[in-house]
Amino acid sequence: MLRRPAIVILVAVSAVPTIAGLAAALWFGLDAGAFSRVLGTPGVGLSIASSIWSGSIATVISLMLAHLAVGLAVSGGWRTRLNALTLPLLAMPHLAVGIGLALLLAPSGVLMRLLSPWATGFELPPDWLTVQDPAALSLIAGLVLKETCFLIMALMAALAQVPSARLQLQAQTLGYGPLKSWLTAVAPLLQQQIRLPLAAVLVFGISNVELAIPLGPGLPPTFSVLLWRWFTDANPLIHSQAYAGTLLLLLATAATVVAAMTVSNLARYVLRSSVQGGRRHSDDRFAQGVIKATLILLWTVGVLAIVAIVLRSVSGAWRFPALLPAGDWLSRWNDVLPTAGNTAAITVALATATALVGLALVLPAAEQCRHDARTRATVGAWLFLPLLVPQMTFLFGVQVLLVRMNIDGTFVAVLWSHLLFALPYLWGLLAPARAAIDPRYRQVAATLGAPPSRAWLTVTLPLLARSGLLALALAFSVSIALYLPTLFAGAGRFATAATEAAAAAGSGNLRLASVHALLLAVLPLIAFAGAYASGSWLFRHRQGVPR
Amino acid sequence: MKPLQLDKVVLSVDGAALFEPLSFSVLPGTVTSLLGPSGSGKSSLLAYLCGILPPAITASGAIRIGDENLGRLPTEKRRLGLLFQDPLLFPHLDVAGNLLFGLSRGGSRAERRRRVDEALASVGLGGFADRDPATLSGGQQARVALLRVLLAEPRALLLDEPFSSLDDDNRERVRKLVFDEAHRRELPTLLVTHDEQDVVAAGGAVINLSGPNADKKE
Repeated sequence: MLRRPAIVILVAVSAVPTIAGLAAALWFGLDAGAFSRVLGTPGVGLSIASSIWSGSIATVISLMLAHLAVGLAVSGGWRTRLNALTLPLLAMPHLAVGIGLALLLAPSGVLMRLLSPWATGFELPPDWLTVQDPAALSLIAGLVLKETCFLIMALMAALAQVPSARLQLQAQTLGYGPLKSWLTAVAPLLQQQIRLPLAAVLVFGISNVELAIPLGPGLPPTFSVLLWRWFTDANPLIHSQAYAGTLLLLLATAATVVAAMTVSNLARYVLRSSVQGGRRHSDDRFAQGVIKATLILLWTVGVLAIVAIVLRSVSGAWRFPALLPAGDWLSRWNDVLPTAGNTAAITVALATATALVGLALVLPAAEQCRHDARTRATVGAWLFLPLLVPQMTFLFGVQVLLVRMNIDGTFVAVLWSHLLFALPYLWGLLAPARAAIDPRYRQVAATLGAPPSRAWLTVTLPLLARSGLLALALAFSVSIALYLPTLFAGAGRFATAATEAAAAAGSGNLRLASVHALLLAVLPLIAFAGAYASGSWLFRHRQGVPR
Repeated sequence: MKPLQLDKVVLSVDGAALFEPLSFSVLPGTVTSLLGPSGSGKSSLLAYLCGILPPAITASGAIRIGDENLGRLPTEKRRLGLLFQDPLLFPHLDVAGNLLFGLSRGGSRAERRRRVDEALASVGLGGFADRDPATLSGGQQARVALLRVLLAEPRALLLDEPFSSLDDDNRERVRKLVFDEAHRRELPTLLVTHDEQDVVAAGGAVINLSGPNADKKE
């Protein structure tokens, strides 16, 4: 390990602040008085329960949908199409999805306008709680929309580790239907591979504010939103309450993850006994149809959410049943454009710096463990750490440390906090891509007289270019979407699209939020489109270059 | 050209030698064939000569070109031409780019390009300079790979079963081309192969790597 400094540096950049942040959170958050004030807050029990409920249910639904979708797509030969459908939704920041869904599903939202008055008879928005409902159903819908896509991608990446086609074929020749073959022969192996991403989904589901602010229940809100309000309160006494609360959030999350592991063992047992029964389910076309319909529904909702953001952001007055806003177009943009330009510039600068610095950290480390799958997995697990803890808990600790070092609110501090969340994705994409390059190319280059540095620049780097461009776009998008890290490390001095959108959504101003949400949604799409287009253009006449 | 000499070369895995100490020399313009079952260490021997031995294998013994000891030199300074079983043309460069990568330094841009075009024409691939290597047939790729090695002006040629991935027709043509070039340029050539016909065509010394433990194994 010590002989490979790039790996040590990479892991240290991520793990040191994360662990120090957690330690600081424990140190400064443990305060009996604050705890009793947290527990004495009216509705706090319900609030915690609502967090755990929404996070867990959404994770279970997303996991099932993702497994079924990948199984169906791979055995049905439309894997690339599933990829293409998933990526745009995956690239959409949680905040934008949340705001978009709120605009879509609200009683006066686009969905109701589509159906009114011809189907519903409503001339005025009905007095229904379709978003921010007490059962957190709209929040769960938002989480499912995002996390299904995330898990589909995680499963697709895991497919490379498993001889899925042969296993599936084996089960099918024994008479099992395609879906049952997948679920019994392939899915359990994939499940082993995605334990970390799955835990990250559960942790995010329970502790997120990005979806819970626009979609989560109102009275009481989810626990993370409650904490978020306390953090943004002016009263320092309330702050100490928030500190203690983050530890409670950590506890609730950890307990749920442990419970989930128990349940998943149970599920494995049930699955195993269902195989031993020998039922074939050989004709599963109906089930396949249901799954496909669900996926299409999910995707349509995602697209409509973007449409809702666009419509709302350009509209001024918008009388209820009218599907399109009347006149007064772009007036909202005129109001915000002077500051929006500045916000966009800071957002893009941060995201670009995150992507470039992240790449510079990851590439040498990937180089140093290209022959060593075990080290790659270990590094990956370490880099995953920030995604396995509630963001608020360790970010609060990080903030305390930054203040002590007197560097809170600096660009470097915010950039570093963004790196913590971009590095696991960069690693997940680039480390396997680097390892997959045939080492003999470099040996050929050496025998032809190229020293290692020249061989790397002229052979390895070009072969890695496509993955590198995608990785840049991915890290860029991750940074665009980050809200809490900017808030905590930036000391409120950095106005990005995410902080502005969250603040506007938090104060109930969805119209203002939609403008920033549009920026949030568009920037990652531009980045990914750019990465794909430039990769294809660079190698437009080179069929043999790895994708 | 000077001969390629091996002096008491031994490769070992976990302290166990793969074969008895090996000493021989390959004279300029001749082809020595290296035979042996898989796992006998014949490909690893070529890797050792080039300085690209995997860390799991340790080696001792001297390698020389003429009087120059190669053992301490990094791969890129040894100037030994290595042809693998696969052509391994760089997929991100066109045919000319691959050859320019190999071509030794010096000359103006136009001069270098002219030499590449001439080389291509000499093996019947005139006009292929701008092609994507992925669109070439196996035999064409093998010829480009050979040119790439020759343009680097190696002091010896090391062939790791370079004909085995070709079909019968191409195999014979490419083999003749490689041996003719080795002969014409007076390159000492070491060929690793399974194929009896390769050995016959090479027409030089034959070294059998059966290993010190070969008798005990089966």
